[in-house]
Amino acid sequence: MTVADLPGVRRQAASMRLLADHPLWILGGVLVVLIAITGAIRPSYLSFSGLRNTVLLAAPLGIMAAAQTLLMLTGGIDLSVAMVATGAAYVAGNRSPSGALIAIASGLLVGLIAGATNGIGVGIFQVNPLIMTLAMAAILLGLFTSWAQTIFTGSTTVAPLIKTLGGGSFFGNRVPYNALIWVGVALVVMWLLKRTGLGRITYAIGDNPIAARLSGVRVWQVHLVLYTLAGLLAALAGILIAGRTGAVDLQLASTFLLPSVAAAVIGGTSIFGGVGSYSGTILGALILSVLNSMLTFLNVGQAIQQVVYGLIVLLLAWLYAKVTTER
Amino acid sequence: MTAVVRRRALNLRRHGWSIGVWLLLAVLIGWYVLLIPRFGSFQIASIIKNSLPLVYLAIGQAVIVITGGIDLGAGAMLVLANSASATLMQDQPFLVTILIGFGIILGAAALNGFVGWIINVSRVPDIVVTLATSFIYSGLALMILPGPGGGTSAGFRILFTGSDDGTGTSFGFSLGMLLVPVVIAAFFMRRSRTGLSLYATGSDLNAAYLSGVDIRRAKVIGYAFGGAMAGLAGLATVAITGSGDPRFSIGANATLNSVAAIVLGGVALTGGIGSVVGAVAAAIIVFFLSPILSAMGIDPNTAQVVQGSLIVVVMMIAGLLALRRRRAK
Repeated sequence: MTVADLPGVRRQAASMRLLADHPLWILGGVLVVLIAITGAIRPSYLSFSGLRNTVLLAAPLGIMAAAQTLLMLTGGIDLSVAMVATGAAYVAGNRSPSGALIAIASGLLVGLIAGATNGIGVGIFQVNPLIMTLAMAAILLGLFTSWAQTIFTGSTTVAPLIKTLGGGSFFGNRVPYNALIWVGVALVVMWLLKRTGLGRITYAIGDNPIAARLSGVRVWQVHLVLYTLAGLLAALAGILIAGRTGAVDLQLASTFLLPSVAAAVIGGTSIFGGVGSYSGTILGALILSVLNSMLTFLNVGQAIQQVVYGLIVLLLAWLYAKVTTER
Repeated sequence: MTAVVRRRALNLRRHGWSIGVWLLLAVLIGWYVLLIPRFGSFQIASIIKNSLPLVYLAIGQAVIVITGGIDLGAGAMLVLANSASATLMQDQPFLVTILIGFGIILGAAALNGFVGWIINVSRVPDIVVTLATSFIYSGLALMILPGPGGGTSAGFRILFTGSDDGTGTSFGFSLGMLLVPVVIAAFFMRRSRTGLSLYATGSDLNAAYLSGVDIRRAKVIGYAFGGAMAGLAGLATVAITGSGDPRFSIGANATLNSVAAIVLGGVALTGGIGSVVGAVAAAIIVFFLSPILSAMGIDPNTAQVVQGSLIVVVMMIAGLLALRRRRAK
């Protein structure tokens, strides 16, 4: 009788296999445990208003992480999402006096232009995505810092409609509007990835770019479309963040960059492309937002918060890698 | 005869990018000399000493990327070493600050080597692990030094900058501190058994493993070396500024510049390709753009836009050249 024949071991192996086939269950479990711990720290958290605050934070993060997921599936990455979001929010704030819809449209235009430029660089000129988007972030920061003193000197608060969309809620102040927008984005992104040709090509490029090219996929067009889409999603997230805070500045979304990558990674999207799903990213964004609330309640100061945040991201990624390689 | 020609063509292609980067640096220096009214030892000293942190960081990043990894926590390690050294070295005599400096380099190497070990054991991609460590390092930096402050000894500042207040005209010390680590790193990577094993690991993990290279050891050594260089960059920062600054954005910016520098310097992010010397030249270029642009009377914000655009344009040209070469084959 070897060790593997012992009934307990076999059952454990079977349960590990089951988890390996359904890694999202683990993420769901982690989310429940984190919510329970946060509730134990601050009992008032386990109420509609407590959870609402987490969702308010999770929605823009989830939308930004959608951009990251789409690009990571092709083997790319977008390190300019936070700066695109900030720029879009800044423009939206500035255009707010001429009406909320114009403000939102001009904000989205920033995302469109920045995203399309990234797409041209990565798709046509074959610039490494890491470099292209890093440089884009630096360029945008420089542009907006100087524009803040020249052409965008007006309003730095956003229109009431944007405030409602980003920070308001309905249904007796229980469901935030931005969660509704997030659900819409999630449905579109999942439909795109699961049901359309573009989605299948996205996975194909990430899995094996050469095979995709040789089988007739015009890789550059896919890159162009996906990077533009990522720019638009980042801009949307930025406008929602501005709506939550009510005012815009050039540091607005900078804290969202690393969580947007981390949410996708925790959710099981491979940074090398070809593997992953948006449903995992949604759980990742929720986990990170609950974690954020928990660390705020613990009131330990920014230094320890950062260390704990980093450690937990590392442990979750480790756990995920361990379980999925058991298979 | 044809063999020689082919060999030469191969060498040119292999070193072409490196040669181009050095030529670009030479052109930039020439341009700078023409731009400013007076070019003397003060300017030389200022450029050499201020480029030190980025040069060190680029050496470390190059070694890690050649080994097949990437360290997004390099800038945060710089901030951590800077904060720790400024706190420990304040009001200490020269000899003690030197000992602290060695201690910090060893500590940074050990900490980052441990990160390499975690990547080996956990099989989580490098980029994710080092993204997490960038948080952890900058959190630790904030714990050690909550706000800008601290200090170091005058002797320690002379060691890196040539003067006790960081504003002198002698550049002998700075040049020495620039050349010694570059030469050591270049020899380590090209001439030592271990260095070659790092190239082998980054070039093809399976082939390296099958030919008996200890790939796990290579990863740990690569990350430890990168950590030590980032620690040295933190020490150079404390010597140049005379204090410590734990702000997160400094680290993030430094990481970006180090990655931009090595890619510009011809190090492939896929691993196994490129050289430390090329990365150093590109690091000086990336740093050097800001004094040039400010000498042209361009404000820092526009300078940042120009710097970012130049990096993109250079990479676009490289992409087009690679595409044409592939088509020509």
